Amino acid sequence: MAKQLSTDVLVIGGGATGAGVAWDAALRGLGVVLVERRDLAEGTSGRFHGLLHSGGRYAVKDRPAAEECVAENAILREVAADTIEDTGGLFVTTPYDDPEYADRFLEGCRGSGVPVEEIDPAEALRDEPRLNPAISRAFRVPDAAIDAWKTVWSLCRGAAARGARIMPYHEVVAVHRSGDEVSGARARDVRGGEELDIEAGVTVNASGAWAGQLAHLAGIEGLRVLPGRGIMIAMNHRLVNTVVNRCQMPTDGDILVPIRTVSVIGTTDERVADPDELEISQDEVDAMLEDGERLVPGFKRQRALRVWAGVRPLYQASAEGDTSSRDVTRSHTLLDHSQVEGVGRFVTITGGKLTTFRLMAEETVDAACGQLGEPRPCSTRTERLPDSEEGEHYRLGSRLRKREQGLQDDQLVCECELIPRRRLEETLRRRGTRNLDDIRRSLRLGMGPCQGGFCIYRATGILHGLDGLSSAEANDSLRYFLQERWKGVWPVLYGDQLRQARLDEWIFQGVLDVGHLPQ
Amino acid sequence: MRRELHYDVVVIGAGVAGLTSAARLAEGGARVCVLAKGVGSTHLAPGTVDVLGYDPDRVAEPGRALPSFVEAHPGHPYALLGTEAIASALEWFRARVADGPQDGYGYVGGLERNRLLPTAVGAARPSALVPETMAAGELDAGGEVCVVGFRALRDFHASYLAANVGGRALEAEVDVGRVEANALGIARRFEEKEFRSAFVDRVGPRLREGERLAMPAVLGLRDPHGVWAELEQRLGRPIFEVPTLPPSVPGMRVFDLLRAALRRAGGRLVMGAEVTGAEAEGERITGVRAHTSGGDTVYRARRVVLATGGFASGGLQLDADWVARETVLGLALRDAPAPSEERFKPEYFGEQPMARAGVAVDARLRPPGVRGVLVVGAALAGAEPWREGSGEGIALSSGHRAAELLLAEAGAGKAPAPSEATA
Repeated sequence: MAKQLSTDVLVIGGGATGAGVAWDAALRGLGVVLVERRDLAEGTSGRFHGLLHSGGRYAVKDRPAAEECVAENAILREVAADTIEDTGGLFVTTPYDDPEYADRFLEGCRGSGVPVEEIDPAEALRDEPRLNPAISRAFRVPDAAIDAWKTVWSLCRGAAARGARIMPYHEVVAVHRSGDEVSGARARDVRGGEELDIEAGVTVNASGAWAGQLAHLAGIEGLRVLPGRGIMIAMNHRLVNTVVNRCQMPTDGDILVPIRTVSVIGTTDERVADPDELEISQDEVDAMLEDGERLVPGFKRQRALRVWAGVRPLYQASAEGDTSSRDVTRSHTLLDHSQVEGVGRFVTITGGKLTTFRLMAEETVDAACGQLGEPRPCSTRTERLPDSEEGEHYRLGSRLRKREQGLQDDQLVCECELIPRRRLEETLRRRGTRNLDDIRRSLRLGMGPCQGGFCIYRATGILHGLDGLSSAEANDSLRYFLQERWKGVWPVLYGDQLRQARLDEWIFQGVLDVGHLPQ
Repeated sequence: MRRELHYDVVVIGAGVAGLTSAARLAEGGARVCVLAKGVGSTHLAPGTVDVLGYDPDRVAEPGRALPSFVEAHPGHPYALLGTEAIASALEWFRARVADGPQDGYGYVGGLERNRLLPTAVGAARPSALVPETMAAGELDAGGEVCVVGFRALRDFHASYLAANVGGRALEAEVDVGRVEANALGIARRFEEKEFRSAFVDRVGPRLREGERLAMPAVLGLRDPHGVWAELEQRLGRPIFEVPTLPPSVPGMRVFDLLRAALRRAGGRLVMGAEVTGAEAEGERITGVRAHTSGGDTVYRARRVVLATGGFASGGLQLDADWVARETVLGLALRDAPAPSEERFKPEYFGEQPMARAGVAVDARLRPPGVRGVLVVGAALAGAEPWREGSGEGIALSSGHRAAELLLAEAGAGKAPAPSEATA
């Protein structure tokens, strides 16, 4: 028989939205269980470009979305300060953009409250000397970079500290119905194989692009969420230190976000049938590199580290039409199924964007409280997340500063991302994982210029020594991580990054001969 | 005004292929200069000479496997070189080690059989010719293995290696003076007598009867034979080195001994020299231009040996438009997928289409389209060095072969300069 668990709120989905719901509900004193089929933030949240929107991007075509961004941007800067780097943002009119758009942009920003200031293009070029020198107009907005992984960890840590149970690698295999109500769900531990029945006062479907599939498990048909797939490429430098947007109607490859030690260009928007379909084509890569060239001349000669795809959840109210997914609203949708299909104690939150996860969570937990019949006030507008108590933003170089304070205290496992050995060991213990890809999401292990050339072996050796793994388990961890890294690397291998990859191959396949370890 | 220097042969690249070629040429009486941006493959490689490890299954006897291997891979560098040339290159190398600056240091083995030595993860890697300091690591030799590691050395994890070879692990518990060190740093400590004594005192009592001792490859750079022999004697058991992540101490020993052979024979090595272009008369390359911190120099030469390596070393490059090229002379490539074709595959451990790209040459190692140039080493088309376990074998034998060809051209290895007439 499956194990049993009982709670007030069951949250399905461990992205920013689900984690936000868990945090919000826990702050309101509700019992919370969160299940995620993979690792936290492994889906859409961990696969975005890292932009905390000022609202500028939606100022012309989607004013409600812009207004939400304005408000949430200001709130997150306070309550989630540590996850944000205050890079500021620029919208620039390049020779490839419709020059008329700039005035509409300015008007749209003013109409929706986006703080905007037009500056002399020469000033923009002084701040960002690598930008295309042919820009004709430039606007400052309060865009910023936000670390989605850190955000999700902080939300979950905060929720857990208030009693929530956060359960990654638990996939929902059935949603329990009792009559016209949802009474909970059955989750399977995908690593251990055990099943768990969770009885819940209200069940929240926060599974994003997978929300339709999840609703189907609850016996609700016709919930249409379009997976809008977008690719992003991380370049090995901060080509800019400010978020740079092309001042035009939103299209492909028009945002460049400096985040941590890299810059990410994105994105595309393509409707796909299956949110798990993430293959990347050569044409997409080529087009994205060309787009980069338009923003920053010489872009293609830089090192491209990785390419990846994520899927936006875009809710479509009706089954009508064949519109491009970019034309579907970027605002979120809350569905109280007791009102839509007459299915009680079940709420779906989908659509939206990372910038507005807090608002989405607030509305969702309001609805959940309604279902539970006990309204409780939301406090996420003012309650600071763990590590953000001081209200200080993340600064590039903070890891380096910490490292410099104790050069001889500890050794580095990963030089690229400055990960000390003790930090790795603590994280391995705390997360209780053998999957180095989990550690990558926690510590950015293997995400720097060498893409794990040195740290993957070191981390495997440390993992083996720490955990008393069998050699077969350690070998599996090593091979799995190498394969995971390669996935995002091979479609963009050229120039010096190919040279790097061949060096890594030399180490792993030549010096270590990992390919011939016992299977 | 630009400086001009004149040589018989200019070799570009200071990896195994380039240094071998240059040293052999100098020994044959040619006036040789090696131009190199920096150190080459030696500092990355484990220091073994792998000739043919996999085809695709593990090869037991490379000498016997080579004829059928080249038959199946007619575009492979080995098909141009032949088993005999490989054997004589190995012989040449072994003699250079014996005469080298590291007193008493030697290599053992040959084409007769591959030795299965553990890597730092404990995989069994097949090598033909190996440093004596590694030879006791043969995995099929039987007996218990104890692996000793150093906490400060991040690039070698004793417990993981031990688990894969069925041995046990120890931490040396000697103070290396730093919280973090690489293999070279610890190798320098092993050159100190007091450090060796401390090591023996700390580790010796914890060893069991009949155990072989595996160590990271850190047994000194200048006198590895002395360090290794002393430790074997004092600990009373066979000891073997296991290659670490780069920098590779045994690889640096190879660099040192090849450089010594070159200098002893009167050859010159210019490090920090980046070749920026070639001087030519028609199709004939008559020299190269090189940039150094001291300025630009034209190195005139009757022959140029290109030993710049593959993608990992910068000899080949793939640009953002997906066109692969040879970087110094712009030579035509073979086996390189076209921009519209698949370059790499999603499976990390699978065969990669781009991996065999390189310069195509004729049986005398000459590329088409230019005259006066020979190509050696990893820049050659047709090989997948790591998957085949053939990197040093190709580098050594093609480098050696190029020198032999040029010396023969100049008149049975007696006259110093290769003659114009025969090229």
